[in-house]
Amino acid sequence: MLYAKNRKLIATAQAVVNYKDKKAEKVITMRKTFVSMIAAAALSAGAVMPAFGTEVTLGRFFGSCQDAGTDVSAAVGEACIIQSIINAFDAENDDFDVTTLPTDWGNYYDQIIASYASGNPPDVHVMHRHRIPEYGQIGALADLTDDLMAHGIDPDDWTESAREAVTWNDRILGVPMDLHANLWHVNMDLMEAAGLVEDGRPILPSSPEEMMEHAEMVREATGQYYLAADFSEFEIGVRMVLAFLWQQDSNIFANGTATINTPEARNALELITGLFDGDYANSRTNYADSQQSFLNGEAAVLVNGTWVVDFYAEQAADEDVELTNYYVADFPTLYDEPATWADSHLWAIPASVQRDDPEVYEGALKLLAFINDHNIDWARTGHAAVRESVLNSDEYAELPHRSEYDNTVNIARDTPASARYGAIQDILNREFQAIWLTGKSIDAALSDAEEDVQSQLDR
Amino acid sequence: MFEQFKTDLRWAGVRQNLVAWVFLLPFVFVYVAFLIYPFCRGVWISLHDWNLLAVTFNPDAKTFIGLDNYLRLFWGTEMTWRAWARPVLQGLCVLAALFCVWRYRTGELRWSTLWQCLMALLLLMFFFGWAPGEGGRWFDRRFWPTVGNTVFFVAMVVPAITLISLLLATALNRETRGAAFLRTLFFLSQVLSVTVVTLIWQMMFSARQGLLANVVREFGGVPLSWLAEPGFAMAAIVIATVWWSIGIAMVLFLAGLQDIPQEMQEAAKLDRANSVQAFWYIILPNLKRTITLVVILQIILHFQVFGQAHLMTQGGPNDQTQVLVRYIYQTAFRDSDLGIASAMAVFLFVIMSVFSAVQFMVSREDEQ
Repeated sequence: MLYAKNRKLIATAQAVVNYKDKKAEKVITMRKTFVSMIAAAALSAGAVMPAFGTEVTLGRFFGSCQDAGTDVSAAVGEACIIQSIINAFDAENDDFDVTTLPTDWGNYYDQIIASYASGNPPDVHVMHRHRIPEYGQIGALADLTDDLMAHGIDPDDWTESAREAVTWNDRILGVPMDLHANLWHVNMDLMEAAGLVEDGRPILPSSPEEMMEHAEMVREATGQYYLAADFSEFEIGVRMVLAFLWQQDSNIFANGTATINTPEARNALELITGLFDGDYANSRTNYADSQQSFLNGEAAVLVNGTWVVDFYAEQAADEDVELTNYYVADFPTLYDEPATWADSHLWAIPASVQRDDPEVYEGALKLLAFINDHNIDWARTGHAAVRESVLNSDEYAELPHRSEYDNTVNIARDTPASARYGAIQDILNREFQAIWLTGKSIDAALSDAEEDVQSQLDR
Repeated sequence: MFEQFKTDLRWAGVRQNLVAWVFLLPFVFVYVAFLIYPFCRGVWISLHDWNLLAVTFNPDAKTFIGLDNYLRLFWGTEMTWRAWARPVLQGLCVLAALFCVWRYRTGELRWSTLWQCLMALLLLMFFFGWAPGEGGRWFDRRFWPTVGNTVFFVAMVVPAITLISLLLATALNRETRGAAFLRTLFFLSQVLSVTVVTLIWQMMFSARQGLLANVVREFGGVPLSWLAEPGFAMAAIVIATVWWSIGIAMVLFLAGLQDIPQEMQEAAKLDRANSVQAFWYIILPNLKRTITLVVILQIILHFQVFGQAHLMTQGGPNDQTQVLVRYIYQTAFRDSDLGIASAMAVFLFVIMSVFSAVQFMVSREDEQ
């Protein structure tokens, strides 16, 4: 097709040349040479230029991956796996040309909102389950319900929770990609040294008191931290507190009323500040530092999500990395009910694309079908798959460490749906960090957080 | 003939006017389209309950609410007035008033300016006296602390930049290769984008791999996590900003220094003035206009600080580095509350204007 296009270019150029007056043959000869040169340049450039299909712009987070290529099976980590899937689709489909827009995790949703407001959103973009209410209630997203089957996407193959994740007012607004949750990533060597390994599995605490005992055992035996997490940047600390709240059958709000200033929240926060007070954890570490300290063997447990399982497994296999004996565990139950924070990544198409640009909509849907077909590859990151056919496959069961945290899908929780999810998470992150970074009292922080969350719910 | 001359003259005037307008029009068009119109639109939006996403999909989703957004920012419930509600700020006002009176007594301030300053300070003291009483609360308890952080940031950064760049410019105002090299070196940081600057300083301040941490470890100390440490996070942002911004101020001072007649400096040398005296009595008085320019430019620039706080500390810990533009950005693009964000932006415009006007008044008074 590309060759045909270039031939057409040469033909057009020569037609222009032939049109010229024959008397000016000399000039024409020069022009012919010039046009041929341009055509030749275009032809040679064509070898490296992407195909001229309909452009489909794509917005995503997950970070950047240089030279992702098209070999999905060779990719490691979220960024490279998703980009290689996109590249593979691009290579297989000459009719469409997918352009991945530059975005950044910290400002992703701000960029997406701004792009919707300016009338120029990406033709297809990734988002979280928790954002569906915000976009769903104003009709920003395309209703895909009636178009999925025709494009080879079978919603009946999705798990119930995945279907719920993309459904708003009984209509399907997206294609789910995973369920991701907080896990305990464990350094088995440190746990072994502290006598916290049994039958090849780490012994995890079953009560707050036991967690402190284990922390002390690790400290005494190894001199290292018991637990590391990002307590000073993103919301990992908030997600830990939320899990402890749910485990006590409490939540941050219900039916439009904030319920944060509660004894359960105080318990959860005292548990975490107890770790800092005993020097069993460092409150000052951000995401990168906490991860690095785990890989360096400076913490027995790292609280982080499913998205890093394959990366840590790869790092553990590296001789230069201190972490060698890596294990993944479900978030432990310290109170009454098991629970861990979870969310879902999903892909959506703006309503304006469905309405105004059928060709692009077609391309975006084909891309989503392609991503849906590669659900097993995405699950390699460590995320839980959303398709029953993938979940029940041997290939999925054999993924590294998968069996170690297979109960996570059953204990996955999140806060109630709200269009103000982002702002509420920010409030909790600010107030909880104020407790362990600036010494604000738990009572004052909980009272301020409740007031601020209530004012968000009232808006 | 005289009549003819008058007509010609008039036509010449008209033609001159026309030519002037032809030259001015492109600028006026750009100025109106990209400054005046957006500003007026911003004020208009600030008078509405305006959800960015909702209005995009339904233009009628906005409601005119008058000054409610401003009230929501500035006010609270059970507001009461007490004479010394904020002793530090009000104490500063009293000190400033005493300073003005002293300047008037030494003849450096005119009577009318003294009155203007005193009235303004009295008004400020009155405003500072308002706070939520018992059982009351601010409608937005983060707004005034954010304003305070921004003013504090400007109060740290602007004098530091002015002083450092003035000293650097004075030291490097000579025609040697070394000075030329150092001038280029000090200006280099200015050409970097805020993203690069914050990346560099995040690495510098990192408690794990940072330069400062390594130096501290060398001496057997425990490195600080500057960006997560209360009291240090703002200092970290100030240091990064000063490092980033001294270049342009230094170049302005160099230009100002080169305008000082050589004869004056030579005369001072003949009178056996040492370098400190020459700096104090020759250079500083001659640089007053440049200093005013630099200070006003820096005030306007640094009130709009955003990237450093957004990328280095995310406004933390506990909002200690939350600044106005970041709050505006979050309110508009994270929370979609465009009305309130616009009200904040209008307020930012007003305080930038006030600070610039005060600085302008002070410098004008000095010149007279």
